[in-house]
Amino acid sequence: MDSRAPSTPERQPRTGRRGPWHRFARNPRALAGAALLAAFFGVALAAPRLAPYPADAPHLLATLHPPDRAYLLGTDNLGRDILSRVLAASRVTLAIGILSMLVSLVAGILIGALAGYAGGQVDAALMRLTDVVLAVPVFFLTVAFLALFGPSIPGLICIIGLTAWPPTARLVRAEVLALRHRDFVSAATAVGASGGRIIVRHLLPNVVAVIAISATLRVGLAILTEAGLSFLGLGVQPPAPSWGNIIADGRAYLGIAWWVSCFPGLCIFLAVMAFNLVGDGLRDAFDPRLVV
Amino acid sequence: MAAYALRRLAALVPLVFGVTAITFALLVLAPGDPVTFLIPPEQRGAADLAAMRHELGLDRPPPVQYVSMMRDLVTGRLRSFGDRRPTLARVGEALPVTLILTAASMALTLALAIPIALVAALRPYSLVDHGATLFSLLGISLPSFWFGLGLIYVFTEQLAWLPATGIRPTGATGYNPLVIAPYLLMPTIVQALSILPVMVRYARSSLLDQLAQEYVRVARSKGLRERTILRRHIARNALVPVVTVTALLVPFLLSGSVVVETTFALPGLGQLAVNAALARDYPIVLTTTAIAGVLVVAGNLAADIGYFYLDPRIRDG
Repeated sequence: MDSRAPSTPERQPRTGRRGPWHRFARNPRALAGAALLAAFFGVALAAPRLAPYPADAPHLLATLHPPDRAYLLGTDNLGRDILSRVLAASRVTLAIGILSMLVSLVAGILIGALAGYAGGQVDAALMRLTDVVLAVPVFFLTVAFLALFGPSIPGLICIIGLTAWPPTARLVRAEVLALRHRDFVSAATAVGASGGRIIVRHLLPNVVAVIAISATLRVGLAILTEAGLSFLGLGVQPPAPSWGNIIADGRAYLGIAWWVSCFPGLCIFLAVMAFNLVGDGLRDAFDPRLVV
Repeated sequence: MAAYALRRLAALVPLVFGVTAITFALLVLAPGDPVTFLIPPEQRGAADLAAMRHELGLDRPPPVQYVSMMRDLVTGRLRSFGDRRPTLARVGEALPVTLILTAASMALTLALAIPIALVAALRPYSLVDHGATLFSLLGISLPSFWFGLGLIYVFTEQLAWLPATGIRPTGATGYNPLVIAPYLLMPTIVQALSILPVMVRYARSSLLDQLAQEYVRVARSKGLRERTILRRHIARNALVPVVTVTALLVPFLLSGSVVVETTFALPGLGQLAVNAALARDYPIVLTTTAIAGVLVVAGNLAADIGYFYLDPRIRDG
């Protein structure tokens, strides 16, 4: 990751092993999370090849079929193969999780960097806004927004992203405040760099680690939010599969066909846990004192 | 303290008006005409729609509608578009369900989190501490509605021990604790588990901070019993951040109640708000939003009162 690291193997000094990536690699839980995450991304990329059936193909003679050799994870009430649907949903869910994380990241970085760099009344106003967004039960607003404007995937990404930025904004602001009066910033100001250039070229590169840690943990939260909304019927709309809406499909048949709701939920649980493990591992490796 | 509480309550006014104004703007901007949800399609003549619109006051400019609805809300005269009953009565039926669920989950969380955190903090990096960390990780990764369905599968479908839907048996009324407890047990566990990891983490680090303080060493060197040190010295100091987190988790629990109330078909505030938004019942949406704002401020106020009793420095300073 570090471009200045020596490229020839024999020049790698032993002390270099104590770097953050070494600490990350020595942490079994972080590695387990990274492996799980890699597996999820691999499976999502290969989903069309791995799926035994088309995700929305009804097998009308095999409705609510329990897991067996033909249908590894069983079928739902319309006879659709759960494994194929879970695989197709992995792409939808991971994409929404990552894209909404990016939206919240951009909003959080912009607001946090501006507040930290500008200071004064701009800072006070932006931080007040952050407090308000943190204090309001945002899920009510999210639900109202999606109920009113109708659920759509771009709408989901935006609303999840735009309600999740406050923690990132706070982190970035705190880091920028700590860096703002350092000599290299004064030097850049002295040679006439503009505020925007100082933020982008000098301040943001120094907060990349903090942002990456926060971003990893945010994806897990975004996946949980998307799943909850899809479970309520306000997220990804059928027939498009998402882990949350497959669970909702299986809810009415819980007593007779547990497998419909069980497996997609297990996927959400494992995927969110993978992001949390990696995020915690990054935090412990780069900045153990950080509270994200 | 009374003056302080009043000042905090005064801050409620701009918050409630801000949140309801944003919500109303969303309602007006959103596609979908409320009256089309009220008149069946076959009876929808243009005259009927216009008459209904006039009756509900929807033919006036949106700012006028907002002001008039908020005035009616404050005076208690605001009525639902759907069943024309006062919105406060509708919310009055739903609110106790959400409040009881929130209070019970908070109580269960604190009852579990403080002992877990205490054991983890007294023996850091022990098996119990690692167990608590692992448990926290599982807790924050678990989708609450899936966990709820799992409980329903085991305790309702398989064992038939607990009811899975509603707040009380059909025909019963009121909130007799013995009657509603079986209905609330699973939702409470689900809600508590969703906040337990956060609570344990804060309580543990707060206890660790206090354990490292000089006054603890002084108390130990005086020969005080460990139990006394914990109860008289550490507990009160360590509880201040716990109270803060408790207040911060109120909006989180309210958000979670939307999903949990759907999972267990509980007729609470979350259900009411979602259904009202879907049916474009403006008065109900505005009332539930306002009440949610009031609850959040009330949670913060309760935390302030908590500090006041826990920490003499805040009380006298």
